[in-house]
Amino acid sequence: MEEVTRELLGGRMSRRDFVARALALGASVATIGSLLAACARGRSAAPASSGAIGPIEKELAIYNWSDYVAPDTIPNFEKEFGVEVTYDVYESNEEMLAKLLAGASGYDLVFPTGYAVQVLVAVGLAATVDRSLITNWGNLAPLFLNLSFDPGNAHTVPYQWGVSGYAYRSDKVASPPDSWGVFFDRTYAGKMTQMDDGREVLGSFLKYRGHSVNSVDPAQLAAAKADAIAVKPSLQAYISAPVKGQLISGDVWLAQMWNGDCTQAQAEQPAIQFVVPREGAAIWQDSLLIPINAKHKRAAHEFMNYILRPDVGAAISDTTGYGSPNVRALPLMKRPVPYPTADELSRLEFQTDLGRATALVDQIWTEIKSA
Amino acid sequence: MGARLPRWLLAFTAAVLALLHLPLVVLVAFSFNASKFSVEWTAFTLNWYRRLAERRDILRALRGSLIVGGSATLLSVALGTLIALALARHRFRGRTIYEAMLYAPIVTPEIVVGISMLILLVLVHVPLGLATITIAHVAFSVPFVAVVVLARLSGMDEHLEEAAMTLGADEIAAFWKITVPLLWPGILAGALLAFIMSFDDYVITSFVAGSGSSTLPLVIYGMVRRNIEPSINAISTLILVATVVLLYLSDRMSRRAATVDE
Amino acid sequence: MSTRRRRLLGWLERHPEAQAWALLGPGTIWMVVSFVIPVLIMCAYSLMPRGTYGGVEVGFTLEAYQRFFNPVYLIILERTFVAALLCTALCVLLGYPVAYVIARSGRWKNVLLFLVVLPFWTSFLVRTFALIFLMRDTGLINSWLLKLGLVREPITMLYTSFAVLTGLVYGFLPFMILPIYASLEKLDPALLEAAEILGAKPAARFRRITLPLSRPGLVAGCLLVFIPALGSFLTSDLLGGAKELLIGNLVQNQFTTARNWPFGSAASTVVMVLVLGAVLIYLRVRDRETVGVI
Repeated sequence: MEEVTRELLGGRMSRRDFVARALALGASVATIGSLLAACARGRSAAPASSGAIGPIEKELAIYNWSDYVAPDTIPNFEKEFGVEVTYDVYESNEEMLAKLLAGASGYDLVFPTGYAVQVLVAVGLAATVDRSLITNWGNLAPLFLNLSFDPGNAHTVPYQWGVSGYAYRSDKVASPPDSWGVFFDRTYAGKMTQMDDGREVLGSFLKYRGHSVNSVDPAQLAAAKADAIAVKPSLQAYISAPVKGQLISGDVWLAQMWNGDCTQAQAEQPAIQFVVPREGAAIWQDSLLIPINAKHKRAAHEFMNYILRPDVGAAISDTTGYGSPNVRALPLMKRPVPYPTADELSRLEFQTDLGRATALVDQIWTEIKSA
Repeated sequence: MGARLPRWLLAFTAAVLALLHLPLVVLVAFSFNASKFSVEWTAFTLNWYRRLAERRDILRALRGSLIVGGSATLLSVALGTLIALALARHRFRGRTIYEAMLYAPIVTPEIVVGISMLILLVLVHVPLGLATITIAHVAFSVPFVAVVVLARLSGMDEHLEEAAMTLGADEIAAFWKITVPLLWPGILAGALLAFIMSFDDYVITSFVAGSGSSTLPLVIYGMVRRNIEPSINAISTLILVATVVLLYLSDRMSRRAATVDE
Repeated sequence: MSTRRRRLLGWLERHPEAQAWALLGPGTIWMVVSFVIPVLIMCAYSLMPRGTYGGVEVGFTLEAYQRFFNPVYLIILERTFVAALLCTALCVLLGYPVAYVIARSGRWKNVLLFLVVLPFWTSFLVRTFALIFLMRDTGLINSWLLKLGLVREPITMLYTSFAVLTGLVYGFLPFMILPIYASLEKLDPALLEAAEILGAKPAARFRRITLPLSRPGLVAGCLLVFIPALGSFLTSDLLGGAKELLIGNLVQNQFTTARNWPFGSAASTVVMVLVLGAVLIYLRVRDRETVGVI
């Protein structure tokens, strides 16, 4: 009976199945009723919803961004733990969220960015992490723990972090100001791009005017919108990561992008430099998260622990170009991304999910694009 | 054969076909380029082809794409042809509305189809996998096949089968020996369209694919945030080469069969 | 032939409507289960209030539709229709001659057909990035033009409407060529020869014989290009620089970044009703014209 109850609370069993099984086990109608009520109060109300985590399973299904592990990360894990890993990729948080929200199951690990963690926790799709199984937890820098999107790290283990800013060709752009105001400079008109992301574009102008990237104040957003529309004619395009190619070839001289993409481009064109503007920017963190209906929770925990090893973390960061929250991995990295100083940190902000205000921001982004 | 076709027409066609293939030349060239980004030519290398052997994920995805593409094409050709025959040869209540509704899958945005199909699959507890991908692909291919075969059927003499039957053939023989050969260009055209749509579908596939089932677009589109590694160019080149070789061989075989018939 | 089969076929003979539905049956069942029901679910979603994090909440509201009937979105709809129309027109101009040549190519028919679809055995993304490489300011076409001295400065081709149209036409050309080919292939060259002998000029031969024969294929091609072109979004993003929104982008955004599923399905339902309505009107007119002739 306990088993059956746990499966119901863990969301792995439909109510109809629960009633059938409970009746078969001889539970009284009253008991069934109160248990169903407990379930209806929301799956996040069930603390032991992860269920008892047993021995390591033989399989693990990972759903990750493309090219977000080092070439040997998965093969080494498979060999050491005797687990067969299926590795599927997605190309954006939104796509992963839409799929999970529509009810898809079968994945044991996903890698959401901060705001996406908030969404998954809020709708009850995130399992709690059993910290006792994560023995390498101490390798993580406190800077990346206990963030607003997952207080106490109940559901996540930090994976990679990065900042947005802009990259420029030092051989084409003399000395760019370290300010988001660079986009207003008509000197580089036609050679600049911003990211194809409403939060990032508005975020850059919100920061320029001294506001928060998570602001939902209509006046502040309106000012940022006006800035974005004023800048738009100077832009060649709204393009995110794929702008790397154009930066290398010289079609674009100045591009808003994330630091890791810049690092990758620098490998082919050393004249590319990265700037985090002095007004501040968005910092983000991707985390490992176990969906509540995962079938191989133990293997998932072991993978989380494995990722926290210094050598594994360093290899991953060397491949992606982004920062590792694993402080012991830093000395092992070939291209270490230094942690932000306290001063820099005061100007960096994590993007949070805006809840119902998401529609407002999307409306503004639509209007910017239609201008 | 081509003797009656004016020269300008042939030149125009050659130009259009050449332009269609120009990006392919670029694609193939970059499969031999040493640079990781397909931006500028750096040096010649066969590295990316060697990498293909290591990239199990790409090879598995190719296998998935071929299985799904082949099955979806066969199924949608069968279903679509039957629908076209019904619409062309029979008058029934609601015929015009049915024909209009054929276009519904074509007009609906892929993300709407993908998410709603996933919701339904989850509701009825169908496990996601290559089969669900195939089901979805057939759904959006059938209208294309039906419309193309219908265009072929218009104006075609529907009494040829009757004539064959008065000469002693039964319905089945009449169908296979008369109808299908007459329809063949339409069926082939529809099959080609169905296959290329299935082979390259991303949005719908990403929603109805289960963990572990993979097609080429799923792997390729996932790379767009990093960069499309040239091993993708390599596998595309190999696919093109394989297709050309198969085409040549089938042309030779049908040529030989034709001479034997004579 | 067995008695049971003969009886079944006899019954079908006497019930022509049943014949039709026997043919339609399998396909219809498949379409209803895998398409109609899901999309009806989505249409129902368009009448429900949006969930805070995506999805829907139980309830009934028309706010999604009310929001759609707003100049910002109607302009996007109009812009999309124009783009799709231009794409279709260009596909006809480029595709019809090619389809005609293939239909008249006898032995080479199949080879040419495969050549038409061969580029599409590669990925759309890879082809589009190849187009970007060709059209960039520092790309192949510009560097050749500069080298040959035909221009002094690179021509801006990328991130313009020209680039988007090129990408759209490139992607949809087979969908025009193949249907036209399928109906033109019936053309008996003897008909054209006879007309020529009787004194008809090439233009007249085309207008009186070829064009009417190809009309079903031409219409099919136009619909199979125009309708999906309405939903395209990647091409305008990659080749147009994502500076403008088409309906496809709008709907895509609602299910991803905006997490407003009801609004996305409302927009999609409006387009569906408009397009299917127009198709239905066209089919009614066509059927009235050709009464008695299928």
